[in-house]
Amino acid sequence: MESESATTMKFGEQARRAGSVISAIGLSLAALPQIALAQATEAAATATAAAGSYVPLKPVPGIGQPIDGAYGFQEQFSPTGHYALWMHDAILMPVITIVSLFVLLLLIIVVVRFNKRRNPVASRTSHNTLIEVVWTLVPVLILVGIAIPSITLLARQYKPAPESALTVKATGNQWYWTYTYPDNGGFEVISNMLPDDEAVKRGEPAKLAVDNRLVVPVGEPIRLQTAGADVIHSFAVPSLWFKLDAVPGRINEKVLFIEKPGVYYGQCSELCGARHGYMPIAVEALPRDKFDSWVLTQGGTKDHQPKAAEAVPAAADAAPASDTPAPAA
Amino acid sequence: MASASLQNRNRRVGAYALLGALAMLGLGYASVPLYRLFCQVTGFNGTTQRATDADAAQTKVSPITVSVRFDGNLDRNMPWDFKPLQVTQTVHLGARSLAAYSARNLSDQPITGRASFNVEPDTAGKYFKKIECFCFTEQTLQPGQEVRMPVSYYVDPAILDDPDGKDIEQITLSYTFHEDRTVAQAASKPLDQAANPR
Amino acid sequence: MATTAETFQAHGDAHDHAHDHDHKPGFFARWFMSTNHKDIGTLYLIFAIVAGIIGGAVSGLMRLELEQPGIQYLTIWATWFDGKPAEMNAALHLWNVLITAHGLIMVFFMVMPAMIGGFGNWFVPLMIGAPDMAFPRMNNISFWLTVAGFCSLMFSAFVPGDTSGYGAGIGWTAYAPLATYGSSGPAVDFAIFSLHLAGAGSIMGAINFITTIFNMRAPGMTLHKMPLFVWSMLVTAFLLLLSLPVLAAAITMLLTDRNFGTTFFDASGGGDPVLYQHPFWVFGHPEVYIMILPGFGIISQIISTFSKKPVFGYLGMAYAMVAIGVVGFIVWAHHMYTTGLSVNTKMYFTAATMVIAVPTGIKIFSWLATMWGGSVSFKAPMVWAMGFIFLFTVGGVTGVVLSNGGIDDNLQDTYYVVAHFHYVLSLGAVTALFAGFYYWFPKMSGRMYSELLAQVHFWIFFVGVNLIFFPMHFLGMQGMPRLYPDYPAAFEHWNQVATTGYMIMAVSTLIFFVNIAYSFVAGRKAEGNYWGEGATTLEWTLSSPPPFHQFETLPVIEDAAHH
Repeated sequence: MESESATTMKFGEQARRAGSVISAIGLSLAALPQIALAQATEAAATATAAAGSYVPLKPVPGIGQPIDGAYGFQEQFSPTGHYALWMHDAILMPVITIVSLFVLLLLIIVVVRFNKRRNPVASRTSHNTLIEVVWTLVPVLILVGIAIPSITLLARQYKPAPESALTVKATGNQWYWTYTYPDNGGFEVISNMLPDDEAVKRGEPAKLAVDNRLVVPVGEPIRLQTAGADVIHSFAVPSLWFKLDAVPGRINEKVLFIEKPGVYYGQCSELCGARHGYMPIAVEALPRDKFDSWVLTQGGTKDHQPKAAEAVPAAADAAPASDTPAPAA
Repeated sequence: MASASLQNRNRRVGAYALLGALAMLGLGYASVPLYRLFCQVTGFNGTTQRATDADAAQTKVSPITVSVRFDGNLDRNMPWDFKPLQVTQTVHLGARSLAAYSARNLSDQPITGRASFNVEPDTAGKYFKKIECFCFTEQTLQPGQEVRMPVSYYVDPAILDDPDGKDIEQITLSYTFHEDRTVAQAASKPLDQAANPR
Repeated sequence: MATTAETFQAHGDAHDHAHDHDHKPGFFARWFMSTNHKDIGTLYLIFAIVAGIIGGAVSGLMRLELEQPGIQYLTIWATWFDGKPAEMNAALHLWNVLITAHGLIMVFFMVMPAMIGGFGNWFVPLMIGAPDMAFPRMNNISFWLTVAGFCSLMFSAFVPGDTSGYGAGIGWTAYAPLATYGSSGPAVDFAIFSLHLAGAGSIMGAINFITTIFNMRAPGMTLHKMPLFVWSMLVTAFLLLLSLPVLAAAITMLLTDRNFGTTFFDASGGGDPVLYQHPFWVFGHPEVYIMILPGFGIISQIISTFSKKPVFGYLGMAYAMVAIGVVGFIVWAHHMYTTGLSVNTKMYFTAATMVIAVPTGIKIFSWLATMWGGSVSFKAPMVWAMGFIFLFTVGGVTGVVLSNGGIDDNLQDTYYVVAHFHYVLSLGAVTALFAGFYYWFPKMSGRMYSELLAQVHFWIFFVGVNLIFFPMHFLGMQGMPRLYPDYPAAFEHWNQVATTGYMIMAVSTLIFFVNIAYSFVAGRKAEGNYWGEGATTLEWTLSSPPPFHQFETLPVIEDAAHH
């Protein structure tokens, strides 16, 4: 069943439906050698970053992706992620565990001490002002204790990006993502989910792997903007503590900062129709020089000049270039 | 059973309750204009402000600059090409500036478009003043027609007094062009099919 | 002077037994044109059980599909359902139809009819000493509107929902634009219309309860002497009255956006898709309290009865519910943390949401204090009530985690949220429903059930639901998004555990139905007050089942504290 489900998907068709013809052409030129390279030299993540060369990074199992049977959050690779994880593990988790166990303990005491055999005559107590005040005020104090780091966390997440930050726009489509790099000539990357067998062949987790990743530089703030082309989608990467809705008709913006090079997977997180479950996100963080050479493979530029080549006329029938590897082929 | 006076009292309480429900129903509908008004007044959701030439003339130009980024999007099936003619501009706070987008109708039919817009970070919405904008009205492009769409704006120096606004180094002004569905329902379909040859 | 339920002493009901034989209408008139609050309550309960079976079966299909990664069954079901070989998109669309149906059925056609229509109709008039509801005929309309709404929702499954297949696949929240131009078929219109019908029925019900509780209390029963279940229904009725019209407005705008060319939520006409979410959650957050507050009331009655003690801190309990209801209206945007809200908005909603934990804590601790020092007998309703307290606490504390806007950035729309709201609703509200059912079933039917089966039902149910929902916390923290039919292999382990838990829970539900059958076939006849000295509210002064018309001579409530 699994493989059948994979082969019935026509991703190329989905991508072309977007009508974003110009970029599809631009991309197809870049994507062909890239795929060939990926298949030829697997595991060559450390290849030298000669201008125009790019080899997709191999993901590390357990990093930037879920772990089967795990009990907690994914390992975090962003400053807000560390702070939020600390807040959850050091403050929230102990508090909620203690509260739950405290209630359970009281219930057990009731069962043991106040059952009708041990305590045949019920007391008539129905008021105790002191204890009522205590169990109102103590939760208030606990909540104030939680609110302080919580507000701090929010403030940190909303620190606006500096002017120099690289800007990337993630646009949600039914049912794939497009990533635009306005600072690098405005090229666009179309990102579709890989079929399961192809993902496994590349050593990536099925249902998370994509053909073209969102490649970004590591160790610097990125101004990540989201938009929706049709319905609302949500751009989410659990190991970067990042989730932002992609709403049609507006952009949203938040800073993304990735501390280590690597591949970080995520999935669309707002119900967007039939293939909602099949539009994963893969973020690849590279050192700046490797990022720059990746940009060149995409036909992008290093500076802020708009790309002149965009004037390619949009002949719609020129589209069937293999912008994405057709799974059935 | 229930006496006449109880029935009367019941009817009165029931009527008050019904009024409460109707009031909430009205509030539900009123949420649309109220939300729009709220956004326009407070800049909530990154809603930009409209200003007149006179407003712009009265605003003092500050030596401090801010970067403005321009972003263009298209709704699905909108058969246009639409992009900013500059990626960013560095402008003095309070100084009236001009930016432009280019739009081109790729289809073989006239298409009427309407632009939705916002700024990010959304705190800047209250201080981002547009004097003239193609987004104020609908735009109709003939088949193959290409036009330059200007927007005239300034950033209110009052942003420096806002604790949430003073750290903003770059404001992104974003537009999304939609086909006005009320004007032409079927116009986008041909492209959709052509781009989908299988 | 606040007195508690145990001090009620009713007089004047002694003659009521004599009325049992008087003018009961024929079968059709009694069950289809009923104006009797007890008969309507029974109808609501039967309806809720039927809807619950359907909604529960849908979740069984979902758990079956989720047992393994990949699509195992959806294609087969879609082929069978559509009557033609299903494409992948049709299978995936069917999944969205299932999740939508499960949510809508459980919220609008199971929990609400059972809590409010069922137990509310049955016991609010009995507990306040009223002969019936204030508007008996409107009560009948409320019920049949709910049925009509359910039929409309069921019908939507058999008309096209979008190009991929039949049924509405929009999620129970029906977010625009997925529910407007994102889904072209008429199924969505029928699904939305079903909410109009059910909502209108519920608003009428709310008006009925408010009027009944304000005007028809027996002499001497002041507001501060009402049993806490009646308090909970009063607060719930106000929440219904004020929140449902907002939903009605929002979904009416969805319908006009879909069919009449308006653009309230469509950016192409100057609308805003996110705007839909504001009124939806202005309704949606009070809605979760609508589902749980009557449960609070039921639990309060049960714990007092089986501890043989008055409820501890009666006034605090009553006003905690009022506080929850009021604050529930000003926290809605915590469902929208990732939509692009500004930081100040998120800070406000984080703080406001946390406030709700305080009155909720007051209730938990007051229940514990009610048991403390009591002479507790652990009959089935009490065991269910104690299970409720623990499960609701677990669901409540994860709510505190989710209230933090910065934490929610990772957990929004993941299985952690699914775990949270099933702990408070599926394990909270449903556990309260079962507790109430075992507490009052003999009163309603006149037959005792098997205590052994009720206890076995609880323990198997408790194990099952915890196995279903506790691992979902882990899945959510690892990042598994909700509403997914398929998932990466790394989510398989806990999904298998959850599916196993579902099977255990399903077995416990079978035991429940066996128990009902047993009680009708072989159950002992129930006395008027089969719980003994702890049961002090007015319904226990009547026979089981109560006479067709009760309290024709109004009972007089005396304040025992003044004797």
